[in-house]
Amino acid sequence: MSRPLLHPSRIPWLALALAGGLLFGVVVPLQRQAPALRGAGLEDRVLLLPPPAALRVASLGFHGAAADAVWLLAIQYIGGHLASDRKFPELKRLVETVVALDPHFVDAYTLGALFLNYGTGDVAGGIALLERGARANPMRWEPPHDLARTYYLDLKDYRQALHWFEVTDRLPGRPHYVPRFVARLYAMTGERETALELWRAMRDSATSDWVREIAEREIAKLEGQPAPAR
Amino acid sequence: MKITAIALTTFREAVRDRILYTILAFAFLLIGASVILATLSIGQEAKIVKDLGLASSSLFGTFIAIFLGIGLVSKEIERRTLYAIVAKPIYRFQFLLGKYIGLVLTLLVTVGVMALLVFALAWTVDGRWTPGLLLASALDFLALMIVTAVAILFSTFSTPTLSAMFTLAVFVIGRLSGDLRSFAEQFAGPGLRQALEGMYLILPDLSRFQIGPHIVYGLPIASTEVLMAAAYGLAYILVLLLVAIGIFERRDFK
Repeated sequence: MSRPLLHPSRIPWLALALAGGLLFGVVVPLQRQAPALRGAGLEDRVLLLPPPAALRVASLGFHGAAADAVWLLAIQYIGGHLASDRKFPELKRLVETVVALDPHFVDAYTLGALFLNYGTGDVAGGIALLERGARANPMRWEPPHDLARTYYLDLKDYRQALHWFEVTDRLPGRPHYVPRFVARLYAMTGERETALELWRAMRDSATSDWVREIAEREIAKLEGQPAPAR
Repeated sequence: MKITAIALTTFREAVRDRILYTILAFAFLLIGASVILATLSIGQEAKIVKDLGLASSSLFGTFIAIFLGIGLVSKEIERRTLYAIVAKPIYRFQFLLGKYIGLVLTLLVTVGVMALLVFALAWTVDGRWTPGLLLASALDFLALMIVTAVAILFSTFSTPTLSAMFTLAVFVIGRLSGDLRSFAEQFAGPGLRQALEGMYLILPDLSRFQIGPHIVYGLPIASTEVLMAAAYGLAYILVLLLVAIGIFERRDFK
């Protein structure tokens, strides 16, 4: 005599078979569609990101981990917009949220300022971010160095550039070329060499293709220009 | 001797509890996932592994402290094993201390394993040892000892569900007490400010045991700060255990 289909000994196997069928028949096909929908989802997540003060409370003191999560969101946001319209209207808010949660996250200041400057053309926003980074991390050379670079390359404000290169020069771990730049700025010479050296240093130390791409573009521009007559 | 026997029994019982392994499995999963997440972070691999590793170890350690801690006394009452124990020549405070030490021993093993995992992963990603991670885990362990003492205090007079809720509330307040104080200083009126200041002084300040950010960035930490935090933690644990003993001694088990 054959056992009924829903015999207690068969139920576990039936349940497992049903679970497998649902997983591969429904869950996996639905998940395959996720990448196509992800763009809109990411924008929503960025727009709905709570303000930093609320995130500080919600993260229950795990501020570093919360800053990392927002940073990963910012990376996805930059990557998404680099691949599409190359506009970054929410970037400033994202980066400011990261550094509000974790004021010692130096790369967030420097990379954030770089993308604000070259991605959105918001040089003043980039400078404000770097100044905040320099204040929060007085022993780190990166924010004053990037301030000097921005004043030198983008704003041609050599007095401010000299000031920030001098600040960088006093800090531990600063790049070897900084004293040379300070000397050149005092002598008001070597503008093109300094610019090329700054961009090459950025290209060589870049941890992402995005930053390397910006540096290579600027190097190509400078190399295309004729050397100034001495 | 009696305390040791109870502590070892509690430890053996705790390591047989399925909930411990479930929580540990999730902790390992999250710590492992930090390595994958770190690869997407543009040069922040080591920071993310250390941040998420320390946060996971702390959070899951708290879950273990709460979910095992709340059942320490109530389970004994439920199973009626407590009646047999209190009838023996043993002080109630010895029973409670044994239970506490047993759970702290369990936490030491589980948090120790998680800390070693984070330490090894950070070395793999960073290419150099960060011994400070072990100090950060050790201080966080003190915070977990406070949470365990809170859980055992509530479990002496309340049901497991209520104890879990109360302990979780104390954990949340403890993690945020520094922020609450600064909010009060900025926005509250004089009355509310005084009330919040009073709460800040009496409730456990778990934010004192967080040195993770200093370790992740290699910032200097004053040894006096660490020692004062340790002294504060040990004193707070003693206060909680004494209150728990006071309540437990007076409790009628008829």
